[in-house]
Amino acid sequence: MTASNVEKAVVPPDHLAIWDDPREALYGRVTIDLETCDGCKLCTVVCPANILELYGPKDNLKVRIKEDFTGCMSCNNCYAICAGQAVIASEPYDFAGYYEQKRIGKFEFPRKF
Amino acid sequence: MSDVVDVEDTEDLECALEDDRTARRRVAIHDIAPGADWNEVEEAILTRRSIRKFKGRQPPAHLIRRILEMGRFAPSQGNCQPWSFVVVRDREMIAEMEQYCVAVCQNMTAGIDYTNYESGSEQRAAILQNTQVLNRQNPNSFHPVPMTAIKSIAKGRFAVFHKAPTVILILVDKRGVGVPEVDVGVVGTNIVLAAQSLGLGTCWVGFSRLLSSNTALCEKLGVAAPFEIAEAICVGYSIGNPAQQPVSRQTHEIIWWEGGQKEVLY
Ligand SMILES: Cc1cc2nc3c(=O)[nH]c(=O)nc-3n(C[C@H](O)[C@H](O)[C@H](O)COP(=O)(O)O)c2cc1C
Ligand code: SF4
Ligand code: SF4
Repeated sequence: MTASNVEKAVVPPDHLAIWDDPREALYGRVTIDLETCDGCKLCTVVCPANILELYGPKDNLKVRIKEDFTGCMSCNNCYAICAGQAVIASEPYDFAGYYEQKRIGKFEFPRKF
Repeated sequence: MSDVVDVEDTEDLECALEDDRTARRRVAIHDIAPGADWNEVEEAILTRRSIRKFKGRQPPAHLIRRILEMGRFAPSQGNCQPWSFVVVRDREMIAEMEQYCVAVCQNMTAGIDYTNYESGSEQRAAILQNTQVLNRQNPNSFHPVPMTAIKSIAKGRFAVFHKAPTVILILVDKRGVGVPEVDVGVVGTNIVLAAQSLGLGTCWVGFSRLLSSNTALCEKLGVAAPFEIAEAICVGYSIGNPAQQPVSRQTHEIIWWEGGQKEVLY
């Protein structure tokens, strides 16, 4: 799921938000490079949201996002631990039903000014 | 009165105070060109990650003393240092703390996790309303991220203290100057960065505050008024190598005033 195919909820002032509708509570999203992933399992172990799992035949394991996933907070602990940099979160969570994200820009790696 | 030093003239003052060592440090600072490599402090900041899976090995006591020592020199409002620590290195005690926090999360979710019930059911509607009212009253605690974590803790899919071999509870002296909770953040930052530089993994645990409602356990731990548990930091050796590369994060608006102009940077 990406931000572009989710139509954000329009939030009237008296609206009470819910957290299991992606239009109101969209969690962080990760991209997985299946060619680079060697199924080492590390990211699934360290992911605080517990949303990553291994699948496939024993000799060709790959990582994927669990079907019932919530809670990715784009912390990129998965990216940090992956030797091949095969998994990365590059969009923040967006809880449109709760509040509008303000004053943030796009994701960047540390910049050497 | 020619012997009175003008306090505004700090250029002069700096020269007067400069000994060999500070002179060398100043040169190093001035030498940093745009785009220069990270120094050791910057490396520690960039490669620190929250560690939630630890090896069984207990870090030696002197390293824990060493990182707490870095906390002691943190800045604080009015130099009031409104903190104190409880270091727990006994597995049974950490397990008892864990158990209690899990029980609290289970009680909480029973009353507020409407996603446990079928869409359209009466129960779901009733609990949803309950949750929404609480969310209105306390939007920070009922924000979707902590809510998801509380749900996961209740179901045993996420831990509170992450089975860390050492847990440092940071207590806040409620009588501190200004906003003592900010000082807790500052002291903790010194601790986690020092730990990172020594090869130790850490994770902040805000949920440690749940312990506060257990008076008996608090008493046993040595937590008493005017101190309260503000945060905890888990410490141990991480599995894998989470420090091999810094991560990507969102940028934040920076309003920059200079030369009478306002600019917005990211
Ligand atoms: C004050 C504070 C409290 C936190 N509480 C928890 C917690 O209770 N449980 C947890 O797993 N992580 C906790 N974290 C860690 C954050 O989730 C983490 O810092 C964030 O996702 C960024 O990831 P990073 O630390 O790996 O860079 C806390 C962090 C801070 C600063
Ligand atoms: S850490 Fe990297 S290589 Fe290992 S399973 Fe995850 S994505 Fe695949
Ligand atoms: S960004 Fe963090 S929460 Fe999201 S999948 Fe990666 S490790 Fe898990």
